[in-house]
This record gives sequence, structure tokens and C-alpha cells, in this order.
Amino acid sequence: MQRLPLAYIIPGMKTYEEVVDANGRTLCGKGVELTEEHLKRFQEFGVQFITVEGLKVRLPWEKTLEEELEGLEKRFEGISDPVLLNIKEVLKEFLLEKYKET
Amino acid sequence: MDPYEKRKEVRRKLRKLEGLPTLPPIVQRLNTMVEDERVSIGQIAELIEKDQVITSKILRLANSAFYGFPRRVSTVQNALMLLGINVIKILITTSSIFEILHKEDVGLWEHSVGVAACAKILAEKVELKEPQEIATAGLLHDLGRVIEKVAFLQEYNQIIEFIKKEKKDPLKAEEEVLGINHAEIGAFLMRQWNLPERLIEAVEAHHDLSKAKEFKKEAAVIHLADVLIHARGYGESLYKKVPPLDEKAFKILKLDFSFIKELFFKLEPKLYELKFFTEELKKETEGM
Repeated sequence: MQRLPLAYIIPGMKTYEEVVDANGRTLCGKGVELTEEHLKRFQEFGVQFITVEGLKVRLPWEKTLEEELEGLEKRFEGISDPVLLNIKEVLKEFLLEKYKET
Repeated sequence: MDPYEKRKEVRRKLRKLEGLPTLPPIVQRLNTMVEDERVSIGQIAELIEKDQVITSKILRLANSAFYGFPRRVSTVQNALMLLGINVIKILITTSSIFEILHKEDVGLWEHSVGVAACAKILAEKVELKEPQEIATAGLLHDLGRVIEKVAFLQEYNQIIEFIKKEKKDPLKAEEEVLGINHAEIGAFLMRQWNLPERLIEAVEAHHDLSKAKEFKKEAAVIHLADVLIHARGYGESLYKKVPPLDEKAFKILKLDFSFIKELFFKLEPKLYELKFFTEELKKETEGM
């Protein structure tokens, strides 16, 4: 999953969550393949960011799944508190899900 | 110097605001206006709008993802209604500090905005009133660290060295060198600036929940948000590892652990927006 400024979105990308306009109105559901018409409409309604499936755009600051998992291990190195370790597990599940479609 | 004496010296310096950026002149007038019941929001907005630099800073922060308003905040009046006068006052008071922060320590800036976004999600989940105030407390929670860097650079460098070479816990290193830690420094300064007690307590207790008296939930939110942002690895602070978690935070908030996964999914899109926001700020600073 990636959340991108509207200018980065191209037809064919799939929404990961609903697209909502500035007044809270839903413009498009989740899992929808975006078309040129969608993008025009989003622009008209002042949408700034859209969350799409996968990691379609290479962002210079974005890490790969391997880098993310490695960083996670490092941040939790030597930690034995069971609650913190549970948080680590949850994060791992979250990351695997986030990077699933790539 | 013995930590107790050092602590006194630090507090003396903070009381005189030595070495700190001066507050924008508008702050004093704003304080008087806020206390006067006859003054309307429109009049306050008018005063703020006279200062274009402050106005653009406020609108930019009001529109960033840690507040997460779906609607574009385009006027000061709008910002005052959505964020409330407390938040606006804080943003104006701390504007020069935050400028230093995103210019000099992008890592800590990113950590701070991340904690703000996470705190907002938590505050909404546990139905605390004025979640935007809690987000602002998140933004300010490491204010003391910025102050250390700005007004006590020599000591700050010593603290860093203690952490790196002697593997000392960051809080202990601060207490040894300065006799006071960043949570206390931040709260001390916020009191000097007459900011609301609700936010001060949240900042003061974010590493030690027992320090919160009246605002335990607020403190628990900031504490948990701080730990979770460290765990997610967004931004940087003096903690290279995830800091200790006080499990009581869950109890105080009556929060079930199962919410944490949902939280990470809610948080991630915000972190993307914040990253774009920071990159934009960086480009502007570099272009200056």
C-alpha cells in the first residue's frame, strides 16, 4: 500500500481504501481500478492524496520489505518486555500485509 | 557540577529564556485578547492575519496530516474554529522553535509529527475531548530536546556521547549531565509560556506516567504514541531502540491491545502524507 499525492496517480492503479473528498463524501470505493475519468473527478473535488494497492511508485525514502524487517529487528534488539514483543509481532504482520501485493 | 546544582542553573536559564528564540511580538497581544471575554474569534483572526509569516505557518500546520482534517483550512478564522484558540496560541508561541527543529534536526521533527498523528488516532479512539489538542501535545512532547540543542549545546553533545559510548539510557544521561530531563524542560518552558496545563502534564509525564495528576489519559496517549512511533521506526530521536513501555497506559485508556494492529493501518497513510510534507519543507529550506 502507498499513499500518494494525486499528481502521482495514473490510470490502472487500484484503490487500497475509499477516496473521500474535502467534505467527507466518498468518491470511489476500495479495490477500484482507477480511470482517467476518476482522476478528473478527484481533481475537481479537491482530493489531495489517494491510497493505492502495492508500491507502484519508487519513492527515494521508501524502504523495501527486507530493509523494514531488518530495521524492526534492530529497534527491538535486546528487548524482553512481552508487551513490546507483542507490538513487534503486530508490526511484522502489518508490514507483511502492507508489502503483500509487491 | 553536581546534578542538583546544575538543575538549578538550567531552570534559572530557562526562566530568563536565555539563548532561546524570542517569542513573536504577537503572542503577548494574543494572550491579552484571549483572556478578554468580549473579544470575538473574528477579532483574534484579524490580529493574526496582520502577520503574514505567522498566518502562513499556521495554515500550513493546520493543513498537515497530523490534524487530518479532510477539508482544506484556508483562513485563520477557519483554523481557529477547527483547532481552537489553545492550539493556535501554542502554534504561534512555538513557531520559531519548530522552524529550528525542521531545519536542524529533521529526524526529531519527523518523530514529533509522527507522534502527533498517532496521538490523534489514539485520542479519537478513547474519545478524549479536543483530540487536536492532544495531537499538539504530541508535536511538543520532545520540545525539551530542541531546547537542549538550542540553549545547552555543550551539555547536549555530552549527553549524546554518554549514550553512544557508555550505552547509557537517554533519560539517565540527561539527568546526569543537566540534572533534569527533556520532558521536565519542555513542561517547565510551557508553563513559562502560559500554555494549557492539560498539554503540559501530557508532555511532562510522557516517560513517567506517575507524574500526571489531573490528565492521566492525555499523558498515557502521548506515552503510548511515542513508543509506537519508535516501534514503527518513523523519524529519529535519542532512542535508537524502542523506549520502555508502561503497560498501565492500556489500563488508563481502557484500550484493548487488539487495537494496535488497526492503529498501524490507520497511521501508515498519515505517515506518507507527513513524509511528503517534510520533503516539501526541506526543499524550501534548501532553496532559501
